[in-house]
Amino acid sequence: MNQFVFEKQQKSTFIGMMILGVICMVLTFVGDDAFHTRFWSNFLHNSVYFTGIAFGALFVLSASLLAYGGWHTIFKRVWEAYSLFLIVGLVLMGVIVAGVLGGFHHLYHWADKASVEADEILKGKSGFLNPMIYTIFTIGFVGIWFFIAQRMRAISQDEDQNGNESFSQHKKLKFWAAIFLPLGGFSSAAIIWQWVMSLDAHWYSTLFAWYCTASMVVTMYAFTLLILVYLRSKGYYTLVTQEHLHDIGKYIFGISIFWTYLWFSQFMLIWYANVGEETIYFKTRLEEYRPLFFLNLGINFFIPFLVLIRNDTKRKVGSLVFVSIIVILGHWLNFFLMIKPGVLHTAHELAHHDTHKVGGNESEIKMHSVKTSQENHADANSVPHTAAATHGEGHEVVSHDSHSDHAEVPAGFHFPGLLEIGTWIGFLGLFLYFVFWQLTKARLTPPNDPFVGESYHHHV
Amino acid sequence: MLRKRNKTVIYGLYNDESDLLTAVNKANSKHLDIFDVYSPFPIHGLDPLLGLAESRLHIGGFIYGLLGTMTAFGGMTWIFTRDWPMIFGGKPYWSVPAFIPITFELTVLFASIGMVVTFYTICGLGPGVNNTILDERTSDDKFALAFDLGSLSNDKVDGLRSFLKESGAGEIHIKDI
Repeated sequence: MNQFVFEKQQKSTFIGMMILGVICMVLTFVGDDAFHTRFWSNFLHNSVYFTGIAFGALFVLSASLLAYGGWHTIFKRVWEAYSLFLIVGLVLMGVIVAGVLGGFHHLYHWADKASVEADEILKGKSGFLNPMIYTIFTIGFVGIWFFIAQRMRAISQDEDQNGNESFSQHKKLKFWAAIFLPLGGFSSAAIIWQWVMSLDAHWYSTLFAWYCTASMVVTMYAFTLLILVYLRSKGYYTLVTQEHLHDIGKYIFGISIFWTYLWFSQFMLIWYANVGEETIYFKTRLEEYRPLFFLNLGINFFIPFLVLIRNDTKRKVGSLVFVSIIVILGHWLNFFLMIKPGVLHTAHELAHHDTHKVGGNESEIKMHSVKTSQENHADANSVPHTAAATHGEGHEVVSHDSHSDHAEVPAGFHFPGLLEIGTWIGFLGLFLYFVFWQLTKARLTPPNDPFVGESYHHHV
Repeated sequence: MLRKRNKTVIYGLYNDESDLLTAVNKANSKHLDIFDVYSPFPIHGLDPLLGLAESRLHIGGFIYGLLGTMTAFGGMTWIFTRDWPMIFGGKPYWSVPAFIPITFELTVLFASIGMVVTFYTICGLGPGVNNTILDERTSDDKFALAFDLGSLSNDKVDGLRSFLKESGAGEIHIKDI
């Protein structure tokens, strides 16, 4: 069976998931604070996660093309379908962009004009972290990625119809892949700084972009494995054998270790240097997100590492599916941990900023901050710079209170609640619906790709 | 040191690995007992044809690696908490993140050296060991398929000779190794 049929039952399942997601998002929105912090952070979290999968697919597809890789050719339509999801990612991130421009969410501290005016660090970064650059980078780069994904898809489909011995379509595909790889490599880093890292606007880490991309790519492989196993059970892709799954298993294993390497490098350098502006990132996560912090490392490193270290577990569907599900959930939590603390911090700061302006109890705040500043050596904003002094002290009060009194932290921030999971299921339904719909639009295996024979006989 | 296996074998030399694979396949279907196969490089798909079990070298590698992990971590723990406590950069004596890179390095070192030594020992290789070689050209461009003669009758030996010839062997020799 080379033509995929999108069954009615699958359609209704995915639509059901989407409806559940919408209900969860509405519930989040209604029960939220004035800034709708929880709703918007969930929206950003899942948009970045699924757009990342689409980007990862396009990147791996291009890299394989240029490296004369042929093992994946029989199922490369799955990756093409993933990569086309960039158009949905563009729309989703477009909503976030509209929010930055229109000011109807407060995810980013740097998007708040008053805060930037009062803060030397934010002012210094405002050349890169400002609504204009955010808009141009998001729309421009994701737009270009989608354009290339769509070009490569069109050429690949043309090859199905008119492919011949001259392999002209394959050469064109390589041309676009060669354009995409450097462009995608650099632009994804810039976009990750904008989308994710700038949520903690005072903080930066030079290897954050690789760390984030590794997360995206390994999730992409895990999704690929699950979809292939599912499609095989439906009678498609009978030629995708243990050998192909073995290679995907190796990638999941290898990239999980790569991710851990980056996780640890980032952690250890910051821990060892012990510079306050940097340490605050891990201080927050270790103190207020402790279970999640270690769970993240445990399920994204130890489980893939220990389960997939053997040859035979990489060749058995059961263990591969188990690890894939773990990796998919684990890297969702990883993004949760990257996004939520920064958003919460910003919300606290802005909320406090507002009450402060109206005339908050200043003397009490000052007293409180003197008491806490001895414990909070690592606090980014306790660095004395005159312009942001009052601002920084305000933050200390908030962070101290949230530490000692957990009632202040809104639901859905310290650990994913049911609404977060429901939102994720909704986005997952959208993603799968889109991918399955794209799978119907072309043959599952490209018959005229020059590497298709190699892929049939793939043997490790 | 010269290792002798005290065997007499008949072997055919092939020019191409695909010829060799076909010959091994044929020998299997005729239930001939293959003594060994010699090749300048590993041939894809040969191991299952010869019925070789998966190597257990990597299990050894895992154990050596674990040994390295424990040596490094345990060693540093002992040194920095009991033997000679020192403070680096205001960190506690037992600062786990700082131990991880060295632990990783020793894991890799122990696993790799352990596996090399094990491999050389099992294969009877090493400095000063002088093994008899079936045919020097099998380290260059020839592929050999060998049968143990043992106490086979002359008829059977002729049968093996004609099998080798039919399967495409360019030269056929009998040799004591």
